[in-house]
Amino acid sequence: MPKKPKPMIVKKMFNNSKRTMLLLLWLACSSAVLAQQQVVTGSIKDPNGAGLAGVTVLVKGTSAGTLTDAGGRYSIQAAGNATLVFSFIGYVTQEIAIGNRPVVDVVLEENLQALGEVVVTALGVERNTKSLQSSVTKVPGVSLTQARETNFGASIQGRVAGVNVTKNGSGPAGSSRVIIRGNKSLNGSNQPLYVVDGIPMDNNQFGNAGVWGGIDQGDGLSSINPDDIESISVLKGANAAALYGSRGGYGVINITTKKGTSRKGIGVEFNSNYVLESVINLTDLQQVYGSGGMASSNPADPTAPEVGSKPTNQQQAWDWGNRSWGAKLDGTPVVQFDGVVRPYSYAGDNWKRFYNTGYTWTNSLALSGGNENQTFRFSYSDLQNKGIVPNTGFNRRNLSLNTNGKFGKKVTFNAKVLYDNEDTKNRPTLADSPGNAIQGVYKLPPNVNIDDLKGDPKKPGSIPVGLTMPSGRAPGTELLPANDNWGSNPWWSAYQWQANSIRDRFITSAQLKYDILPWLYIQGKVGMDFYVRKSRTLKPQGTGDQLGGSASEREDRVREINQEWMLGVNKTFGKINFIGFIGGNKMVNTNENVSANGSSFNVDWFTSVNNLSSQNFGYGYTKYGINSLFGSAEISYNGFLYVTATGRNDWFSVLNPANNSKFYPSIGTSFIFTDAFKNLPTVLSFGKIRASWGQVATATVTPYSVNNSYGLNGQGHMGKPMAQYAFANNGYNIPNANLVPALSTEIELGTELRFLENRLGIDFTYYDQKSTDDILQGTISNTTGFLSTYMNLGELSNKGVEILLTVTPVKGPVTWDISLNMAKNKSKVVSLIPGMTSLDLEEPRTRTVRVQQIVGKPYGMISGWVQAKDPNGNLIYNIDGIPQRSAGYVPIGNGVADVTGGMNNSVTYKGISLSFLLDFKFGGDIYSGTNVRLDEWGLSKASLKRLAGDIAVKGVYNSGTASNPIYTPIDRVLTEREAYNYWQNMPENVESNYIYDASFIKLRQISLEYNLPASLLSKTPIKTLGVSIVARNLAILYKNVPNVDPESSYTNSNSQGLDYFGMPTSRTYGFNVRVTF
Amino acid sequence: MKYLNKYLLILLLTAFFMAGCDTNELHDMNNNPNAVAQIDINYFLTALELGCAGGNPGSSTGGGADNRFLDWRTNIGFCAHVTQQLANVSGGIASGDKYFDTDMEPQNAAFIYGMTDEGKNAAEIIRQTGTGGAMEGTHANTRSAARILRALIFGRLTDLYGNIPYSEANKGLVGIYFPKYDKQKDIYTDLLKELDEAAAGFSADADPGFTSADLIYNGDVAKWKKFAFSLMLRMAMRVSNVDAALASTYVTKAIAGGVFTSNDDNVIMPMAIGPSEWLNQNGISRAMSPGDGSQALYSMLSKTMIDKLKGTDPAITADDDPRLMILSSGIGNWTNNADPTTFTPIAGGTNPLNQKGLPNGLDLPMLTALNGGVAVDVGLVYSRINVKMLQDDEPYMIMNSAEAELLQADALERGIGSGIAGTAANHYNAGVKIAMQMYTTYDASLTVSDGAVASYLAIYPYAGTKAQKLEMIGTQLWLSQFFDWYEAWSNWRRTGFPVLGAINYPGNATGGTIPRKLRLPASEVTGNPNYATGATTPDLMTTRVWWDGGAE
Repeated sequence: MPKKPKPMIVKKMFNNSKRTMLLLLWLACSSAVLAQQQVVTGSIKDPNGAGLAGVTVLVKGTSAGTLTDAGGRYSIQAAGNATLVFSFIGYVTQEIAIGNRPVVDVVLEENLQALGEVVVTALGVERNTKSLQSSVTKVPGVSLTQARETNFGASIQGRVAGVNVTKNGSGPAGSSRVIIRGNKSLNGSNQPLYVVDGIPMDNNQFGNAGVWGGIDQGDGLSSINPDDIESISVLKGANAAALYGSRGGYGVINITTKKGTSRKGIGVEFNSNYVLESVINLTDLQQVYGSGGMASSNPADPTAPEVGSKPTNQQQAWDWGNRSWGAKLDGTPVVQFDGVVRPYSYAGDNWKRFYNTGYTWTNSLALSGGNENQTFRFSYSDLQNKGIVPNTGFNRRNLSLNTNGKFGKKVTFNAKVLYDNEDTKNRPTLADSPGNAIQGVYKLPPNVNIDDLKGDPKKPGSIPVGLTMPSGRAPGTELLPANDNWGSNPWWSAYQWQANSIRDRFITSAQLKYDILPWLYIQGKVGMDFYVRKSRTLKPQGTGDQLGGSASEREDRVREINQEWMLGVNKTFGKINFIGFIGGNKMVNTNENVSANGSSFNVDWFTSVNNLSSQNFGYGYTKYGINSLFGSAEISYNGFLYVTATGRNDWFSVLNPANNSKFYPSIGTSFIFTDAFKNLPTVLSFGKIRASWGQVATATVTPYSVNNSYGLNGQGHMGKPMAQYAFANNGYNIPNANLVPALSTEIELGTELRFLENRLGIDFTYYDQKSTDDILQGTISNTTGFLSTYMNLGELSNKGVEILLTVTPVKGPVTWDISLNMAKNKSKVVSLIPGMTSLDLEEPRTRTVRVQQIVGKPYGMISGWVQAKDPNGNLIYNIDGIPQRSAGYVPIGNGVADVTGGMNNSVTYKGISLSFLLDFKFGGDIYSGTNVRLDEWGLSKASLKRLAGDIAVKGVYNSGTASNPIYTPIDRVLTEREAYNYWQNMPENVESNYIYDASFIKLRQISLEYNLPASLLSKTPIKTLGVSIVARNLAILYKNVPNVDPESSYTNSNSQGLDYFGMPTSRTYGFNVRVTF
Repeated sequence: MKYLNKYLLILLLTAFFMAGCDTNELHDMNNNPNAVAQIDINYFLTALELGCAGGNPGSSTGGGADNRFLDWRTNIGFCAHVTQQLANVSGGIASGDKYFDTDMEPQNAAFIYGMTDEGKNAAEIIRQTGTGGAMEGTHANTRSAARILRALIFGRLTDLYGNIPYSEANKGLVGIYFPKYDKQKDIYTDLLKELDEAAAGFSADADPGFTSADLIYNGDVAKWKKFAFSLMLRMAMRVSNVDAALASTYVTKAIAGGVFTSNDDNVIMPMAIGPSEWLNQNGISRAMSPGDGSQALYSMLSKTMIDKLKGTDPAITADDDPRLMILSSGIGNWTNNADPTTFTPIAGGTNPLNQKGLPNGLDLPMLTALNGGVAVDVGLVYSRINVKMLQDDEPYMIMNSAEAELLQADALERGIGSGIAGTAANHYNAGVKIAMQMYTTYDASLTVSDGAVASYLAIYPYAGTKAQKLEMIGTQLWLSQFFDWYEAWSNWRRTGFPVLGAINYPGNATGGTIPRKLRLPASEVTGNPNYATGATTPDLMTTRVWWDGGAE
């Protein structure tokens, strides 16, 4: 059995020098053998003769070592009688005695059994996966760049077991919600900490749509250029995340950016990705009845029944403009909202007319190079996007410069600047109207052509000169398709409303490391994430519900600075290796904004905020910090037994000094039994078991919210100041001076097994996580004057399993790899405030359901009204056949999927590789407010049951009084008028009818890549050339929700499972070209 | 020694980084530079007064800081329609028109805002100036004003919802998170006592902070006392049907203390265009404005209202109520979008004879059927609320003086309390006059001459049986409370006047009876464990509150 590569920190190794030798002697603690030193050089190649870069070359028995350069060459000082150890991940380690030779060349054999890779773990430390004691998953950058998402968070979906990603239906600049191993806090963000090369990144959200509608203002992730990502590693457990401190409590996503390598000349890498994007229309709506409403079938006869009728004049057409409760479409000429007579027949697909084919074109150029002492990588990337909603788009430019170098023999440094410029044009308004173009498209009756709503072609969505509307409104104002000031014209919403933002962002860091001794180093690191975000919104003059219009301008400045120092040891004593460090971190985050806004423009159609008649300004400022000390110690024996213990203490500025400090430890072990026991069956290529326990403290508390304070409200009234509370949530969350940090404790057990020369691999993890002292904004009675109070009373648990299965059914010229990951998480809300059984989160605009945390139930229940029942269990209607509501809300679903996963298949043959990704979620529910409205508006297929006799009701109605009910049977069919009333009331009374199983399986991604063989390129300057065809969101293979995507969501807050007119799903397809020189 | 230097360097570096871990610095970081630990309590009074004018300055619930929300939902959407002063065929917010509870916002808004805005700000002033408070024993006038305004708000809340948290309400900052419910009778008893104490608590010493912060009376203590006693009169009369003793005691006290006598005494909050439309403008105007809330596009003056104003003979103008063309702009639409003043009547639209009210409880097909099968544009057929009273900076009338006169007539007529000077007729006539002449507050052109009042009173003299007189009083109270529809509804529930025909629209939630109570928000029903034991149940629109003949 060959020896496994030696786990090691691939950092700056010892370079012999007199000074250190003296030091070594002086310390008398080194086993280094002193002998005649000489320079040894050589090259290391793989079996195919290609140079291997990054191979570790060690002088055996010392810590002196180096790495090979891009060409596989190395140079090292060693004693002539020493032995060199060559090790590289995936290859068999070789030991070769120098024998006083000046040149030692090596060919490394591939090691099929010791598959392992280097991942970045806590605090940027690189480790071989084999030594890990908790689950860390690595995603190579290339899988994020082929078929890409503008928000890279969304690309992770389906790739990592236990990571549940939800991308908001809010367009390319929208945010994504990434949850690792379930929600761990009742009120906290629950989203992981993102770390770019060791520097935490601010992932602040700038707003979401809520019950009253709104705009997804994006998150921090959209700043990241996927082309700069070398790899990401997802640290899932408390043990792995412990060293990141409180903000790693919900998991950590570590982004490692690409670095330069020492090479001859300058390496050039160019990548171009062009994808088209088209809307997927998932609606299946009725095309039988046109716009109209209930009217007497014979006006002359007062007793004649009411039936669905066509409008008879423009006024009526406008009154009924948003109702599809008319007569059967029969092609007869009927007047419409604008007074024009058109055939009363299906007008065709309005989605096709409204939505664009969007595109995203990304071009990236990277230059890299360097020598043994200095390397650099520079990249520039340009992304241009045009969205599927007209007049929307997203542009991004990224610049990055990354340099690494050595000063002398002992000092190494790394410095990096990432600059990002994002320019978003018109983020779409979601959820509630007005301004929601998407809702406007949904709402149109089947006989109305959306192009007829365009109005003035020079100003889409406005009343053209010469058109008289029943509203009597002037040309240039919004052309409302119905007598409803809040029911927006989609063209007006798309072209006249504005929601633009520009962000300039710098993520910079510098790191200096000094090797005091071969086994002892100190390093310091300073990093800053700084950005300025400028946003503008305009609700134009002439808008249906606000004729005066309004506008706002706002600038946010966010700065986070981290300073960190570390003192580290890496020492081997025979078969025992010790790696340890202690360190400290100081983080300060400052967030400042100024805004100007107001309403009613003075000069017509001039949209500057300076032109507003009422003007207002706002100013916001928060600052918080965390100081930390931490340490870690790992002892390993002979490369197969590892034990690691860590500890960290955080001090939080957001808590009061008496209780702002928390220490939390972790311990873990892993045992590679295939290395320990030599006589195991050969079918087992690799076997490891691991166990860990860890804690992380978190303090998800808004700054300034533990003590009472007062501020001023706006600019007062009539020149007089007005007071208000100045603590968190506009003074609506009662401060609690005694808050302590919350604590998450997690046990993780896992095993990794590989069989048949790694053709089959299983990685299994079980975890049991518990959050205690969770800081919750406990909902309290409004009669207190407040909505909530901070309390340390929350407790919830998450238990789950994660499975990663890798299979290579075919290997050879054709290789087929299958990777299946799956996770099941079971959450439970254990306790809230004593006496309270539920905690309210958000509600959609129907205001008939609410996301709640309910004691004893899983995280994120959806509760709502259901149909009331009498004591005998009969359904209660009223005498008119309308289902009656239950007395209170009843839990009817859960918005969080408990099973998530994905399956990636890749088939390679020579230079061709085909891969496709399926992903799935099971066990979650969705409340579809969209379907509620489609029923009420008479657009759904369900609402086809609308004629006399179509709807049968059976149950009871109350013929007594409210306090003394007498339940009398009702068992009959409804008249057409009653059926209409049924559809107007049932959807907001019986919410259980609008809860759907949100499970799905999607064909998320396909790519077909062809890499030209090197032989074809050998005479050109091109080193590699790859072309691929890519597509995302190709098909939904399984779903249970009508008319909308089961992933439809307008918010990435903790309130999941609410659908209400988010952006429709889209499909992208295009190509990618990658060239290196 | 070189190496020692190195260790020294490390130590220095370490010290440098460790120095960063200074906890004092961390502590200071949590002091908000934009806040203070203590603030002039008078600044809360201004906020409280604005809240009582529907301004919701501190609100982050419901519709956010939106001064339209409360009035639009409860005052207009529910109360104005349920009392049949406005009517609505479709559009906007009008669940009171047809007794719907599909949309709960109109029923919930008053509760949520009353508790989280006005009630909370009043409680802060009372807490800080009370026993153990940071300003104990100071700001006597501010404290009394806060107690009066708190009584106004909690009186309204218990009128709308019956039993509510009162004695433990608004004590979140002292740790009461789930206040118990108090019985309406106990609430009324305490509120009346509060008003008595508040009136007595005013100090004659001028408090410049109070004078400056008080936008209602600019620190005029005498007027505040009248406000306290007039509110006491209202509340005493409110319970007069079920607790004559309590009513008599406090009617007597109120009269002895001195109530409103003229429009100069009206409780009026001035409003402004800016700086913020959401904070400083009149919420009723914003809800009604054709360019903003647009409710006035859908909700017309009702048939009940117009018929009352048009007098006995709709075919002549001589017997009209002089308020007809004050409350109505006429029939017509707006021409300029953003400008409510550009209301343009149709031909003859401002002729009093042509004024037409929209019947309550209709939908479009019903209205079409009513018009012989011809679809109508309601805006071009029915009378609209006068746009002259709907400017964005319109003052907000919190309470008017006519009410005090009419209630004295009522008390005299029914023999409640003692000490009221003059006759019931004196007070009735004075009340009608004050009511008719109060609209100059909104627009200088909305005048009713003394002669016109006299002529009206001559045509409709205060005479007849006691029942007839009580109906006249009740009807005049109802008419005088246009815009204060909360009170119009409460007075109607107490007096039964004017007689309103119930609506029985298909699918209504009351079985075709006029609602007697509002339902509590779902958040309170499920969120306050004390609801189950203390609230007025069943929590339905058909349940009556205590003073309306319901359970105590």
